[in-house]
Parts: sequence; C-alpha cells; structure tokens
Amino acid sequence: MGNRLTAPAWISRGYGRWRKKKMAWLAAAVCVLSAALICAPLLMIPGGSLMDGTEMKRILSPILGEGQGFAVWHLIPLYPTIDHFYRLLIESPAFYRLFWNTVGMTAAILLGQLVVGLPSAWAFAAFRFRGRDFLFGLYVVLMLLPFQVMLLPQYIVLQELHLYNHPAAVILPAVFSTFPVFIMYRGFTQIDAEILEAARLDGAGELQIFFYIGLPLGRMGIQAAMVLSFLEYWNLVEQPMAFLEEKAAWPLSLYLPQITIEQAGFAFAVAVMALIPALFVFALGQDALEEGIAYIGVKS
Amino acid sequence: MESKKKLWRGFALFMAVMLIMTYVSRMVYVSRMPRVRWSSPTAASIRHKIVSEGTVEVVNSQAVIGLDGLLVKEVCVAAGDRIEAGTVLYEVDMEDVRAQLDKLEAQEQAWQNQEQAKRRDTATDAVRAQEDYDTTVIELDRKIAEETKKLEELLEDLDTHMFRIPEEDASDEIWIAWADERLRLDREIAEKKRLIEDGQLEKEKILRQADRNIEDARRAQSAAENGLDLGVSGVSQVRDRQERIAFLTELSQNEGKVTAKSAGDVLDVMMQSGMRMGTDAVLRYADDTGSRIFRTVISQEQKGMVHTGDTVRLTFPGSAEETSETIDSIVQENGSYTVTIRLEPGVALGRTEGVMELDTTSEIYDFVVPVRALHNDGSNAVYILEEKEGILGTELSVRSLTVRLLEQNEEYAAVADELMSDDMKIVTDCDQELRNGDTVKEWE
Repeated sequence: MGNRLTAPAWISRGYGRWRKKKMAWLAAAVCVLSAALICAPLLMIPGGSLMDGTEMKRILSPILGEGQGFAVWHLIPLYPTIDHFYRLLIESPAFYRLFWNTVGMTAAILLGQLVVGLPSAWAFAAFRFRGRDFLFGLYVVLMLLPFQVMLLPQYIVLQELHLYNHPAAVILPAVFSTFPVFIMYRGFTQIDAEILEAARLDGAGELQIFFYIGLPLGRMGIQAAMVLSFLEYWNLVEQPMAFLEEKAAWPLSLYLPQITIEQAGFAFAVAVMALIPALFVFALGQDALEEGIAYIGVKS
Repeated sequence: MESKKKLWRGFALFMAVMLIMTYVSRMVYVSRMPRVRWSSPTAASIRHKIVSEGTVEVVNSQAVIGLDGLLVKEVCVAAGDRIEAGTVLYEVDMEDVRAQLDKLEAQEQAWQNQEQAKRRDTATDAVRAQEDYDTTVIELDRKIAEETKKLEELLEDLDTHMFRIPEEDASDEIWIAWADERLRLDREIAEKKRLIEDGQLEKEKILRQADRNIEDARRAQSAAENGLDLGVSGVSQVRDRQERIAFLTELSQNEGKVTAKSAGDVLDVMMQSGMRMGTDAVLRYADDTGSRIFRTVISQEQKGMVHTGDTVRLTFPGSAEETSETIDSIVQENGSYTVTIRLEPGVALGRTEGVMELDTTSEIYDFVVPVRALHNDGSNAVYILEEKEGILGTELSVRSLTVRLLEQNEEYAAVADELMSDDMKIVTDCDQELRNGDTVKEWE
C-alpha cells in the first residue's frame, strides 16, 4: 500500500508547489525584465540606423542640451530612411578600411591563438610535468589581470620591440592571451584520460594523439575559445587606442568614437554593420559558446 | 548542420559583398575627390603691363572769329577734318558782305569828314587865342611904359623942386607953398608907382589867362587831331568799324571765302549754313604748330606702378603711329589719377584718342605664385597641398594658408607669410571648389 497522506501534509505539499511555481514565475519575470533592460540598447540600433537626421536631432535634443524633458526613443522611426546606410556603404571607404583591418586583426589573433594557445592548452591537459600547476596558476593569474594593469609593461615591451604603432602591437599580446588557453584546456580536460592512455598503448605518438584524439574531442572547447576570442577582439577598443596612433591601422571599434553625436544615425548604421559579423559568428558558434561559458563557470 | 551551412554561406556572402562594396565605395570616393594641380612658389619679379585708353587734347587751339551779323553761305569743313593752310573753312554771302561794307564805308567817310571839320575849328581857336595874347601884351606894355614915363617926369620935377628950397629967412607963406608943392609931387610919384605896380599885376593876370586860353585851344586842337575827343567807346567803335571794313574788304577780295591760316585739325564747328554769325568763334582748330597733350585716367592700383618720368608707349587707334613719350604729371582726381603726357610737336596729328602702354617690372619677391592659386576666405589665402595621415592611409589634402598679397598682375601674385617656403606645394588648379581640409588627388 502506498503512503497515505494526511490532510495537513497534503495541504503543506500543495502550498510548497504553489510557492515553487510562484518563485519560478518571479524568477522568470526578473530574467525577462533584466534581458529587456540589457537588450534595450540593441533594440535601439535598427531603429536609429533608419532614422532621419531631423527626427534624430529632435529626439536627442534633451541630451544635446537643446531641449527640455527626456529623450523618448522611437523603436520604429517616423521618417525611415536608408540615407545612413547609403552614406556608410557607398560613400565611406574609411569604414571598409577599418572593417578589413578588424577582420585581418581578428583573424591573425585567432590564428595565432590556435598556433600558440592550442599546444599550450593540450600540454596542460595531456601531460603531467614539474611546475605544471605553478605554470597553470600563472596563466590563470595573467588571465585575471585587467588590461589597465598590463598597459604600461606592454607599452614598454612594444616600444623596445619597435612594434608600437604597428598592428602587431595589438595582435601579439592577444595571440599570447591566456584566456583561450584556459578555455581550450577545459575542453581538453573533458577527454577521458583512459582514451589517451589507450592510444598510447596502441602505439600512437603524441602528435597523433593530439591531432586524432585531442583536436576532435576538444573541438567544442576550441570553438568556444575562438568564438569568445572573436567577440572580444572584434570589439577591441583599449589596446588599439593605446598602441595604435596611425588611424589607418585602427580597427572598426575605433570608428564610432570618430563620429560626432550630430551624426548619431550614421553611427547607428555603423553599429548595425559592425554587429553583423558578430551575429554570424555567434550563430555559428552558439553551441560551442554555451559550452565555453560553462567552462568559464568551471573556472570561476 | 544544414542551418550551419546556410549560416556559413550567409557569412561568406556578407564578406563578399563587403569586399565588393569596399571597391565601390573607394571608387565613389575617388570619383568625387577634387583634382588639383600644384606648383611651388618661386622667387621672381612681377611684370605689369598697364594699358589705358585716353584722349589727345590740344593745348592752344586756333579760334576762327566770324564777323558779327554776317550771313554764312556754306560751311566747308567739319569737326575732325584735316586742313592745310589756305583751306577754305567757310563762305559768306557776298551780297551781304557788300551791303555791310558799303554801309560801314559810308559811316567811316561821314565820320572822317566830321573829324576834319572839328580839327579845323580847333586850329582856328588856337590861332585866335595866340593873337589875343599878343595884342594884350602889347597894350599892357604900352600902358606901363606911359606910366613909367610920367613917373620919371615927376621925379625930375621933384628934384627941381628940391633945388628950389626957400631961404631960411623966407616967409612962412613961401615955406608953406614949397612944402605943399613937394607934398603934391610925393603924392603923385607914389600914385604913379602904384599905378605901375597895378599895371604889372594886371598884365601878369591877363597874360596868365591868355596863356590858358591858348593852351586850351591847342589841347582841343590836339585832341581833335588825335581823335581823343571821341572817348574810349568812340575810339573803340571807330576801330571796330575800321576792322570790320578791313575784314569785309578782304572777304570781298576773296569772294567771301575764309581760309585757314595754318595746317591743323578741325576741332569744333559752331556755325551752320544760313545762319548769321555772332561775336563768338565760329570754328576751332588745332594748329599743327601748337602742342598737344595725352590724358588718361588710371586706377589707384595702377598708380603704384606708374610714376612721373616713366617712358610709355603711345598708340593711336586707326593709325599705325606709335611713339614713346614721358609722363609729365600724375594728378589725383576723385579717387583716380589723371596721367598727363605732353606730346612732341607733330605727334598724334589728327588724333583725338590714344592708348598708353607701360611695362614695369617689380623687385624680386621670394614667393611668386600663379594668381589663380589665390582664393579669398576673408583675406587672401592659398591652398597648400600636404600629405595627411587618415583612416585611408596617407592622402593628399589641402590646407588654407592666409598670405599677404604684395603685388600681382593678371597671371602672377607675389605673396608673403612667415610659414611659406619654396618647397611648398601650392594648389594652382582644381576642378571643384575647395574647402580647408579637403582630401584631394593630383590631376594627371
């Protein structure tokens, strides 16, 4: 016979379910509100990019000190126009210059991280050697250091290497970033150690193990590292601002600060175009990204 | 997996479009970019060619005065005509000439007769006055002589009487009679002396008056002979009549034709056929022997390049004549300047207009640029072509540099500024209007 619930117990259990459901709704509501708050600037971008100058100026007049009250944004412009996109895509070769700078810079960084970081991560994950924990701890410490802390040392080193005001000044420090090593390391650690041992017993060399077992099985970690790195370096601002004086070498992320508030519509169009590659990469690496975020959780 | 492929294709397509648009935007950008030509400033001088149209003026023109009231039959010349000595200027009506001549000659004859009669009368008056004078002198002299003789007789009587003085013991009666006689003689002598003196005074008075009469008569005679009695207006009338007679006589001899006394150019004709001439000049012409001047007006800017004493080239429209003359004066008049050149005799005969040309060369300036390189943005400025580091890399851009304009002609301008150097690239030509900071490309 099953357990028979007494009336007070039933009531108590019902109250518990109702309470759980209520908490779930509350949590959902908080999440939705937070998401809406976070996504609000993103929602402004498409509308702003299609808004004509007059309307934009009227909306922003309180911000510009030319009007009273608050700026009230129109998600759907009253007078939509593609003028900003026309000007950006047809009449602004500088945008393309910076766009391709960013593409090149990001590609070089990602490639460099694959070349440098991938073996490092594999080494940490697959081998046990003296000082490994210390070295890995050092990696973690370096990963945790904010850019502002490393700014001056990096500047001095780059000056000594005569790399200041050269794209390499941004690329090289990023190539040797420890964050992707950590993410990829976490991916590699998901591989069962017995598989690697079995491969060794079967006579596979270390390179074979790396290429035929490590890379396929640690793919998600690598992808996560690449996606996260792409998103970080696609929007890189501080490093190029600090190390690149020559505008011709700037990435796209420094194009927006060049645009004045009077050209806000144009700036929104630039933001839309800058967002598209990131959206593609995000969509392509969404699964890996989720896993990468999970690895970051492991890190924390 | 399929969706991932689509995403990859979409991403690839996006990048391909971006690549294509990169070229498109660059082409659009370049196609709209102003194209410029440039040159560096050079050290040179500025040459000026001043061309100014002016007029040829006659300093002393000959005026032909007609005879007042004479009828013009035909005008033979017009303004601008070239005339030689003896050229018939105009003809007058001969009947009119003869009628006026007859009338004037009759007046002259009557006047002459009147004057002769007047002279005769005054001569007679003078002779008579002299005769009266002479007669009076003789009469007075005779009277004085008579009284003098009587006085002498009385003096002799007195001397005789003095010898007849009575004795001391003579009676009183004798003494009284002697004394009375002497007293009478003294009184008569004194009376005669007084009469003689009065006669002398009377003579002097009468002779003075007679002299005056003679003098008056002679003066009247002289005035009549010299025509002074006519007065100023009278003399003028006589002379005028005589001149008119002489002119009409000459006209009559020339059959009414008035000719030019010397060669020259007719400037003005102030008469017409059929009109009667007035007292003013009827024709004015520039005598070849007289001097001419060329006048032209130059601007204040040109004034700085033209100086008194400069040698200029003068040409005359419609003529191959060309001459070099010296500027005599430059006078400011109403904000502009009048240049005056005294022409050599025989130059610009028959010309009323001329063109002055002057070539001047300035000092050597450090920076001379084509004048088309100048633009005005409130003050004179030039665009300097510079390399500019921008997002697109090293590009050419223009920067406006304010300069001081020292001198310029139609092609070149001398400018100065502390920031100028001879290796600067100054924009000289552009296919669009430039603004400071514009990105440009070189004109191939």
